[in-house]
Amino acid sequence: MNKSVFKTIGLVSAALLVAMLFFLPMLGHYGNDSTLFTVTLLLASVGTAISWNLTGGFTGYVDFGHAVWWGIGAYTTGVLMSNESEWIPQQWPLVPALIVSMFFTALVANLVGRLTMRLSGPYFSIAMLGFFVFFREVVRVAGPLTNRGIGLTIKPVINRPLWYYITLIFVLFLVYLSWWLRRTRFGASLIAIREDEIGAEMRGIDTTRNKVMVFTLSGAITGLLGGMWAYQNTFLDPDIAFVEVRTIDAVMGTMLGGLGTVAGPIIGMVFLFVLRELLWTQESLLQTHLIVQGLLLGAVVLYLPKGLMGLVRGEVAFLDRFRERSSTFDGMESAVLEAQESPISDSEDEHPHDPVALHPTWDGRTS
Amino acid sequence: MTRVLEASGIVRRFGGLTAVGGVDIHVDAGEMVGLIGPNGSGKTTLFDCLSRVQTIDEGHIVLNGTDISKMQPHQVAHIGLSRTFQVLRVYRELTVLENMELSVQWGDISLLSSFRKPTKETTERADRLIDFLLLSRLRDQQASSLSGGQRRLLELGMALMSEPSIVLLDEAMSGVNPSLVEQIKDRIRILNQEQGVSFLLVEHDIRFVKDLCDRVVVLNYGEKLAEGAPDEIMENEAVIEAYFGDDGTEGAGDAGN
Repeated sequence: MNKSVFKTIGLVSAALLVAMLFFLPMLGHYGNDSTLFTVTLLLASVGTAISWNLTGGFTGYVDFGHAVWWGIGAYTTGVLMSNESEWIPQQWPLVPALIVSMFFTALVANLVGRLTMRLSGPYFSIAMLGFFVFFREVVRVAGPLTNRGIGLTIKPVINRPLWYYITLIFVLFLVYLSWWLRRTRFGASLIAIREDEIGAEMRGIDTTRNKVMVFTLSGAITGLLGGMWAYQNTFLDPDIAFVEVRTIDAVMGTMLGGLGTVAGPIIGMVFLFVLRELLWTQESLLQTHLIVQGLLLGAVVLYLPKGLMGLVRGEVAFLDRFRERSSTFDGMESAVLEAQESPISDSEDEHPHDPVALHPTWDGRTS
Repeated sequence: MTRVLEASGIVRRFGGLTAVGGVDIHVDAGEMVGLIGPNGSGKTTLFDCLSRVQTIDEGHIVLNGTDISKMQPHQVAHIGLSRTFQVLRVYRELTVLENMELSVQWGDISLLSSFRKPTKETTERADRLIDFLLLSRLRDQQASSLSGGQRRLLELGMALMSEPSIVLLDEAMSGVNPSLVEQIKDRIRILNQEQGVSFLLVEHDIRFVKDLCDRVVVLNYGEKLAEGAPDEIMENEAVIEAYFGDDGTEGAGDAGN
């Protein structure tokens, strides 16, 4: 099947999914408050994965502490909206509280990014893990501001369907943002940084500035989602606001769907959610979903390095090897022929052992 | 003649090792200068210092009248220095066209306009250069599917996208098919003669240097050994001793330089 067929199938399923989500609150029993609560959480995880993908996927900086922004956003909203914070006892209205949460998280992300975005590869990932633990403990010991880690309660005044729609619209906006960003020069410069940072710098791209900017944006989005979660949850303490699993989910969902693609985080998170719900219903198998999820991540990294998006495009590690042997892959054949016909071809291969070279894509653009 | 690049007293140390020990080098407008020397003589390190990929311990670098000794590489690129690398640096997951569009003169792009798509002018310029470098057939192919020689050409194109006044070529011919070498040489000559682009090139192929360069600088153990017209250099005894003396080992084990 060619690219345009996949594109049509993708767009049609996306439209169906959005329509389904849109009509969900009107479906009586299926659209009850409990379902809406769960689906709102799913939407928030999709949003978190999208924002994680901006740094982890587009820019290639794998952030293992991303949930820290969720926690900071949630706590800022909590402190502002609850009357249990001694320093700020006034109960702020929702909208200003969320706006302040987003900007405050963005500010912290900006400062942290200036420090950690200088590091590369595993050093960055580990430093971010460190900041995650650091901020969780800061909140725990921050005394009268955060109610000493005992937790904060927010007055439950929520219109569940309305909140669901607000979240849905925000997440749809994030999908659009990610799609649009990838098509701008700024988005392309992030891909350049991922592909070759020194090269990008030498081509005139201010890599430090762009990295810190995308990191700040990513933090702001997750901070806002955290604030929204705090409001929906009405209670928060450090252990439920700063949860490692939120990072793991974002990483896993994005890897599963397709790292660095626009659709990847959405497909991956929805897939993980459905899988979890299916396994969860069997009472005796409460933790099965974690076993399956863990194994799945291992299998994805080994056999589907480009995730489900890669699978759709026919990029599967072991299949590629098979195709190389049997030489039945049209795209590869035509590309080889083209290279041979080209007046300027030569036989040198610069990176014979490059893992990326094992999974070539012949369809041009990465989405 | 206007001086495009002038570096004086460049020192670069790695711990106890002095890779570049006080080198003076300059390139005038429209000039082609070759930089040669045995393996480990500090050519690539000097390139890295000039393009600010590496910091310098001592010395000054002036590019188009601006002191760039403390600048970031992207700032250097904004004021007219561009380079290629010995180890190819193209964006493998992007197409040839996207690689070119991304190598535009970023100094002209404001923060706000970086949140737009590449302009029509950028795409047109990219297409002209792609044609010029005989890569038109591969325009929409991913860079990862290109051969080594084609990637060398692409990288040259990327270096030219930002309309530089000087291009530093680091072994642009390494691993390139001999028939392609002639084509690349031809393209470089046209760029130099018709567009007035200055070149500083590190190259092991002596004929290549001799054919193209007006002046040659020889490095040995991080210091300047000789400088002059290609023919004079070929006959310089110190150069022959240092560089051509062990001809048998030269060239083959070149990659680690």
